[in-house]
Amino acid sequence: MPNYDLKEVKALDYKRPDIVNGYSDQTLYLNLSDRKIAIKPVTEKTKKTFIGGKGYNLWLLWNAVQPSTKWNDPENALCIAAGPLGGTPIYPGSGKSIVATLSPTTASVMDSNVGGYFGPYLKFSGFDALEIQGKNAKEVVVFIDGVNQKIKIYETSGLPQNAYELSAVLTEHFAQGKPRNISVVSAGPGAKNTLIGCLNFTWYDAKRKRARYKQAGRGGVGTVFADKGLKAIVACWNNVTAETNNPADKARLKNVAKLHSREIVDLDPKQNEMAKICTTHLVTIMNDHDLLPTHNFRYGQHPQAPNLGQEVYRHLFDPGFDGCWMGCTVACSHGIKDFVPLTGPYKGKKVFVDGPEYETIAGCGSNLGIFDPHTVAEMNFYCDAYGLDTISVGTGIAFVMECFEMGLINETHTGGPALHFGNRLGALELVHQMANAEGFGQIVGQGVRKMKAIFAKDFGADPNIMQDIGMEAKGLEFSEYMTKESLAQQGGYGLALKGPQHDEAWLIFLDMVHNFMPTFDQKAEALHWFPMFRTWFGLCGLCKLPWNDIIPEDNKDAAEPAKVIKHVQWYADYFSAITGNEVGPDDLIKMSETVYNFQRLFNLRMGFGRRRHDDIPYRAVGPVTEDEYESRTERYDNQLVKTYKVDIDGKSTAEKMATLRKHREGQYEKLKDAVYKRRGWTSDGIPTRKTAKRLGIDFTEVIELLKANGVNS
Amino acid sequence: MIQVAGKQLPWHEGMTVSELLNELNDPHPYAVVRINERYVSRPNFEQTIIPDDAEVFLIPLIAGG
Repeated sequence: MPNYDLKEVKALDYKRPDIVNGYSDQTLYLNLSDRKIAIKPVTEKTKKTFIGGKGYNLWLLWNAVQPSTKWNDPENALCIAAGPLGGTPIYPGSGKSIVATLSPTTASVMDSNVGGYFGPYLKFSGFDALEIQGKNAKEVVVFIDGVNQKIKIYETSGLPQNAYELSAVLTEHFAQGKPRNISVVSAGPGAKNTLIGCLNFTWYDAKRKRARYKQAGRGGVGTVFADKGLKAIVACWNNVTAETNNPADKARLKNVAKLHSREIVDLDPKQNEMAKICTTHLVTIMNDHDLLPTHNFRYGQHPQAPNLGQEVYRHLFDPGFDGCWMGCTVACSHGIKDFVPLTGPYKGKKVFVDGPEYETIAGCGSNLGIFDPHTVAEMNFYCDAYGLDTISVGTGIAFVMECFEMGLINETHTGGPALHFGNRLGALELVHQMANAEGFGQIVGQGVRKMKAIFAKDFGADPNIMQDIGMEAKGLEFSEYMTKESLAQQGGYGLALKGPQHDEAWLIFLDMVHNFMPTFDQKAEALHWFPMFRTWFGLCGLCKLPWNDIIPEDNKDAAEPAKVIKHVQWYADYFSAITGNEVGPDDLIKMSETVYNFQRLFNLRMGFGRRRHDDIPYRAVGPVTEDEYESRTERYDNQLVKTYKVDIDGKSTAEKMATLRKHREGQYEKLKDAVYKRRGWTSDGIPTRKTAKRLGIDFTEVIELLKANGVNS
Repeated sequence: MIQVAGKQLPWHEGMTVSELLNELNDPHPYAVVRINERYVSRPNFEQTIIPDDAEVFLIPLIAGG
């Protein structure tokens, strides 16, 4: 046990309000610069407009920052919230927290969702959201003690640096013999020393007797956390039942929760076995359909991909119940017990790895040309412990490896290692360097967008080719799906508010495999409905997996199977039962539409949120190199001839590539037009005044913002 | 015999996933099936042979991340 010190420097006693219909109706405010602790009421208008979760975070953040605010300014706020349905233990997937802040890599609004117990414990302690501004010169731990109704700020010394040990130490310190009552949020040295830091949110695994964690990974939220001088935030709560949210209609809640929960228990074993293998089944499925990114998204398939598939991880995962929230029957948070790393500070020691899931396997495995499941597990372990986002790490190192293979950078720049694809030790060494602020890892930890600028300015690398192969948009690294053959998913990534993360829309199978949306209007409709419905989970504190990863047996006979409308209706019932506000499926979309458009306007306010900001690198659209084209010549030639009516006789590969690029980029621009129109935005991608008014977000500040950007109707 | 979506069906030597789906006469456009613990995707349906006594699960939709 490390010799550490926690010195209390500020405390506030408060009276915990009763939770009424899923809400505490107040938020907790902390300013670390002057150690102010305050409790703010939530107005009825805020509640009606923003619903909760991400909606509350965005409103708090909007009021905290100015258009000129940078991610590391003291006024940048880090906000964490659950949502009105969050914390219900009988409905599957009801334990999510949402984090929002201004991002170090995009300079605009970032949101990231995560499991673990923190969000529900925060709410049950009396706060629908937590907002933290300011900075402390010394590292601090914030303790939200809902049981004893106290908020405390401690200055700390001697605590472990990495989240793996820190989570265990702080759980034990605050638990007073009841570790299940504790949830710890922490980052790690990687978050402090890079711009791609994640946050780890814990829950206590009673069977394995250890604090385990999930990650709010995207956009450097952990970096903001560390920059504020936060070492950890700890929440304490006890006694969670179906009635803790004080639902408006308990019988209705229990009925709909039982339906969904039992269906998962019945059908998951017959479908994707999430309770045994989580999302690892996707690896070979994506590979079979040419959708698994390999070698920096060059290709979608590799013969060694089965080495990273579920058949391998099925045997590596430690069997047992793995729900990241109480009572969740999806129970997909699997891990590897007694894993022994080959590198780094835990070399030769037994550790528990939380994961990996599909994104980490593809990002830190196939996309790096690494097909060794143990290297992926080790990357997973160290990224979590250091507080690094496995997606940005994977996509970032993939970019580095391709630059190395193209000769854009060399050993002089990397500090020695030949960072070819497949260099397992090289990839791991970069992760350790990022955590320790050493060597070339310091540059890689800046993220792809900044790497492109550094490689061009300092190493003389060609900026045009890096623009094509650097897989970022809006400053965020792509998550791990190939999009070249799915125009709808190009939009799913490119038009996503925070950058290319698949949590807004995952349309690859519907579009490419099933061809369910051949027209622009159909694609635009999908790029309206799916982002809106998926946004709703973030407003309410829910996980989306129970919606469409375990599917009713009669769903295939539904008019639009992809929407899984039976479950959408259950979610409307769930919302009605908790909050007492009677809603139907269309109301859920309207709730999201309000917050979604507000976030787009927030981007505009920060200097983004226009058409040009929805551009994506050409690697996401089509073949950048001749090797890529020639690896799938038949596909590309056919498209040129049959779809675009081009005479390719006698044309070189380079000529055909140029023609294909012109057409494919043109298609993406047409998609933007169709989606903007469907969403009620201008052709420059800005919500119109009419849209803002329809959604009730035509605040004075919003109207002035629109006017300043030339939008007057 | 094999078990498909909970029902017993006759099996024959060399039976492929494509043949099975044709015999089922189910219009749903399955992209993935699971044979015991092994996932098989549509591009491999024609060349994947189902072993006797296998349990086959028809995966209704792949919804992704």
